[in-house]
Amino acid sequence: MVKKITIEKISELVAVLMEKGTLLAPVKEVSGHNFAQISDPQKVDLNFYNTIMSPKNAFFPHKEDFVKYKIGKSLAEAEATVLNLKPTFLFGVRPCDVKSFEIMDIHFNAAGIVDPYWRARREATTIFGYAYDLSVPLDSADFYNTLGIYAADPEGSDIFMVKKDKELLLKGITPKGEKLLGELSSLARVSSADENYFEEYIKRGKEYKTRFTCVDAQAIARKLETIFDNVDFWTKMSSACLSCGICTFVCPTCYCFDICDDTMFGKGTRSRVWDACMFTDFTLEASGHNPRTQVYQRLRQKISHKYSYHIRKYGVISCVGCGRCTRHCPVNIDIYSIVEAALKA
Amino acid sequence: MTDFKKIEENLKKESKRLLEAGDVTVVLAYGKGFDESHPMPYAAKAVADVENIVFNEYCNYNMARYLVRYPQGTKIAIAVKAADSRAVIVLIQEEKVKRENLVILGIPVQGMKNPKTGEIIDSKTTCGMYNPVLYDLLLGEEVHGSKSASPYEVLMEYEKMDKDARWEFWKKELDKCIRCYACRKACPMCYCDPCFIDQSKPKWADKAPQSPGNMMYHLTRFQHLAGRCIDCGECSRACPVGIPLYLFHKKVAKECEEMFKQQAGMSIEDKPVLVDFRVEDSDKILE
Repeated sequence: MVKKITIEKISELVAVLMEKGTLLAPVKEVSGHNFAQISDPQKVDLNFYNTIMSPKNAFFPHKEDFVKYKIGKSLAEAEATVLNLKPTFLFGVRPCDVKSFEIMDIHFNAAGIVDPYWRARREATTIFGYAYDLSVPLDSADFYNTLGIYAADPEGSDIFMVKKDKELLLKGITPKGEKLLGELSSLARVSSADENYFEEYIKRGKEYKTRFTCVDAQAIARKLETIFDNVDFWTKMSSACLSCGICTFVCPTCYCFDICDDTMFGKGTRSRVWDACMFTDFTLEASGHNPRTQVYQRLRQKISHKYSYHIRKYGVISCVGCGRCTRHCPVNIDIYSIVEAALKA
Repeated sequence: MTDFKKIEENLKKESKRLLEAGDVTVVLAYGKGFDESHPMPYAAKAVADVENIVFNEYCNYNMARYLVRYPQGTKIAIAVKAADSRAVIVLIQEEKVKRENLVILGIPVQGMKNPKTGEIIDSKTTCGMYNPVLYDLLLGEEVHGSKSASPYEVLMEYEKMDKDARWEFWKKELDKCIRCYACRKACPMCYCDPCFIDQSKPKWADKAPQSPGNMMYHLTRFQHLAGRCIDCGECSRACPVGIPLYLFHKKVAKECEEMFKQQAGMSIEDKPVLVDFRVEDSDKILE
């Protein structure tokens, strides 16, 4: 089923979704767009390239409280956080970011290792994927084609959206999406010309070319293993790296976290907070020993985790080529160039 | 206007000469990035590396940031723009590097740009100076005649706010912080190892990107930079969420200048104001 709405009237659709549950959508902030929980329908802004922060926050918040406890009291009195989730709509996700959820599912929602918080949020959420605007020039940092993802891939979305001039075409992709689309009466029916436009647009997405290099997952995994000890290579690659955490925090597939107990006046909270392998204290052990004191070791870890260890363990590259790490790096370190250099090293 | 190509040529020429003669083991300059508008900080360690050196209007990086990565005694050549040279001066004052181990390649420049916004970087977010304060070699013509606005002019609006309004302003701004620590990592004056915020015994603030911890981190960092910040603006440029950190640093720099009649990083003979004591020093802070 394909339906449509004029972009001017998007706030009507937004209002309906807000009535049905929680809506997360892009809003304009000082330095760019970000996903936020919507309380004012007028705030939703689809005129964006991609958000600064990836949408992983929707399922894996920067800080997640697990347990509240009191010092000196028994464990039975500790209160575990219960999620009371309303149906959630994650609106306007770019195809590369949609793909990242599938990769993150490996860690949080696969057989044997289930994170109940991630799973509950995933199940409560309907994803509205949104094709890149093919009439807007590409950002030079993007390279999702390298990972086999295209600008208008509907795969992984429940409902997929495509912009047609001043209209938004919406198509149900999964049964969950189809059902929701059927319920949204503020949307208009479409002509067969619109339906053709939608299908054409998805095809045209393949012609919207990002940077591309032929990366065979097994080959790059092997290559990174062989150059692990090439200190010269890694020192060169990391000589500019400031070792801040921007790249990992904006990344849709970085999932490392720290468990923190914060106690004050006898009351405490145990929570999970994002961590970053680029931080010096990430590998600091209780003994005081730190196996990764050098910047090159940390950058090597980041690249190797995504393009080697992850392939060895789970069979897929842990990167979707969204370009965020490159775009937001204060010193323009580019993971794509490092992978290219590694292949030649 | 600045002749970027000429500076790039000179930078390459001098780097090559210094490396060839063995006067230095590393040249800290700017190198090719993934495209022309995205150059990177670059460390040339061999003559062959020199061809990768570039200089254009996007080479904003303060290379003084990288000085402390090399062991004391390493002979280093460093490319500096105006504010960067002031950072080198503070590092010399604080005995992090020795003057005799440095060959300072000064770059007078006007019209640097922020690649994210395309805006010219001027005295709004930096000290706005064009010419390096300290150098051994100058790689271009000094900029004269076009006087830049006072680096404190941007504070006019800020200073109209009363104490409560400022508190609200910073609470709102610092709430945006995601604790990626890019600001401290881009800062040439932030070299503590470990930084107080990374310590766990005692733990000074929680790790979560929320109000109390964010306040603790930023306010402490602001304090640590009092009288030391040379206003290169790299912290604000690095910030992915656009917190105007420069406002606080400029405000403190202005107060310091008024109280102690000294700007940070203007002479290697100076001592940083907060480690120096002079009988005539202002008592304003105690009033």
